[in-house]
Amino acid sequence: MTRKKPMGRGRSSTFVLTPIVMAFVLDAIAQVAPENPAPASAPGAKWKNGAEVYAKICGYCHENGKVGPVILGRQLPPAYIHAVVRNGSRAMPPFRFSEIDEESLAKLAEYISKSQNTQ
Amino acid sequence: MASKYIALPKGISEQTFDAAVRDFSRVLGDESVLTAPERLAPYIKTMMPVPDSEHTLSAALMATTVEQIQKILAICNKYKIPIWTISTGKNLGYGSAAPAERGQVVLDLKRMNRILEVDKDLAYALVEPGVTYQQLYDYIKERNLGLWLSVPAPSAIAGPTGNTLDRGVGYTPYGEHFLFACGMEVVLANGDVLRTGMGSLPNSNTWQVFKWGYGPYLDGIFTQSNYGIVTKFGFWLMPAPSAYRPFVIRYQNEEDIEEIVEIMRPLRINGVIPNAVVIAHALYEAPVIARRSDYVTGPGSISDVAVRKLVKDHNLGIWNVYAALYGTEEQIALNWKIVTQAFGKSGRGQILTQQDVGDDPAFAYRAALMRGDMNLQEFSLYNWRGGGGSMWFAPVSQARGSETLKQMSLTKQILAKHGLDYSGEFIVGMRDMHHIVDVLYDKTDPAQEKAAYQCFDELLTVFSAQGYGTYRVNSAFMDKVASTYGPVQRQVHKTLKKALDPNGILAPGKSGIR
Repeated sequence: MTRKKPMGRGRSSTFVLTPIVMAFVLDAIAQVAPENPAPASAPGAKWKNGAEVYAKICGYCHENGKVGPVILGRQLPPAYIHAVVRNGSRAMPPFRFSEIDEESLAKLAEYISKSQNTQ
Repeated sequence: MASKYIALPKGISEQTFDAAVRDFSRVLGDESVLTAPERLAPYIKTMMPVPDSEHTLSAALMATTVEQIQKILAICNKYKIPIWTISTGKNLGYGSAAPAERGQVVLDLKRMNRILEVDKDLAYALVEPGVTYQQLYDYIKERNLGLWLSVPAPSAIAGPTGNTLDRGVGYTPYGEHFLFACGMEVVLANGDVLRTGMGSLPNSNTWQVFKWGYGPYLDGIFTQSNYGIVTKFGFWLMPAPSAYRPFVIRYQNEEDIEEIVEIMRPLRINGVIPNAVVIAHALYEAPVIARRSDYVTGPGSISDVAVRKLVKDHNLGIWNVYAALYGTEEQIALNWKIVTQAFGKSGRGQILTQQDVGDDPAFAYRAALMRGDMNLQEFSLYNWRGGGGSMWFAPVSQARGSETLKQMSLTKQILAKHGLDYSGEFIVGMRDMHHIVDVLYDKTDPAQEKAAYQCFDELLTVFSAQGYGTYRVNSAFMDKVASTYGPVQRQVHKTLKKALDPNGILAPGKSGIR
């Protein structure tokens, strides 16, 4: 393994804002009508797009192959990405539905699968 | 007939579990009650050397409010269903997101992730359990609040509530996380909601600024325990200093740790070096820049000769001391003089700063951690052996040179007996050290898995016999560690459990408490 520069930072995100606003709304609903079940799109698991998930989670290990293998630009099949995210692989931990919902995972899989090889 | 569940709680029939699941669904909605195998798969994988089937959950519940949790607990009390609570579920090397015992229901609070308050002036935060360090980091940055986090190595994907409740540590001056916890909201097994400390006082505005409240201090009993479910967690943040100087001191002999610790202790106790310093062995550093297969062929642990070659090839120390100075430029200049004089005296250590090491990835990740930045580079450790096996062996040591050398030698000797390498570091408190060893093994290799289990068991046995206790452990060894602390403490834990959770529904087995 060659020495690599650490990954750059600084891109802001709306990941925090949206779930928080949603959570306040849901909390208010729960207090008014506590018997109502929470909607399927509960806060915390929705992401803006695949690039955001990659930057905030995957990239810390996979960008430039720092810890795990490079995954961008390899045309990895979306079904394969889905399976690895949900089940983990060797030391890579799995990611739960509470962390990333199916819709967001589909966006992530598409983002990775269609990404260009830049590394 | 095959069960429709992948596991059932101990002593609970499928019919009873059906009824409980129906009731859970009424509270949360079907979508937030998971029983299908594909939905539960992400909770099952652990890094422990035991079959994952021993820690397979029966269901997962994704709750987002206190009211939902109160109702879930009422259902668990009614049917005597055991429930294992997780926050971000990334307690890697300690049990991950899996419950302590097969069949427990996982209460997954990841989606309960509101940042309730960050006070810039008083430098504190109040968050829900699902908040990750990344989320809080972004929140602070977007608002330019000028506050730093203290994070453990899995920073971005872990969170302050779970890490602190398991008494985890970070690397800044706020690195002993529970010392900086201030105020919790806890749902008790009977559904009561307790706010600890000043939080119990109506209209109080001092919940996150004064820890002790009035009467017995209760926060501690909700850490590493199963006496309640923490739904809000307050903690202090460090004001960003105007200047920051991370540095590394490299030493070339294992015996040098005696000198390192003897020099470091007064600097830490007197506050010259304020942060949770790390003294990392070469094999803790190596995976960032080297491959094991380049130095070892065949079974067994890596030889000292190979470690020396590796150290030389990659310009590492056998010990690599990472510390930092914080404050104004003037304060740093003064403390830098004290530090360089203290460590320069013997001529054994080589002191290097950012300018000296350039883009060294090992230095970069340590420098990031010592300022609470997001970084997952430490996961490189998992590439050392490969195969996804990892347990943290975490005995506590005095901050005394002779003791650290003794613990290191003992650990290395036991690991080598089982064919495993010493990937260890010491995290320096003021008077103590967390001796942290990643017991790495290939979980896909049954022989190595067996060796790892036996090795870990022996480490616990030998260390406790010598009076060394471990401060934290994975869920396969919780009972064993609990037993090392003796029957009286265990009985007190049990008495508290009976009083606060008479039906034993909350996380049975956590820290050996049932």
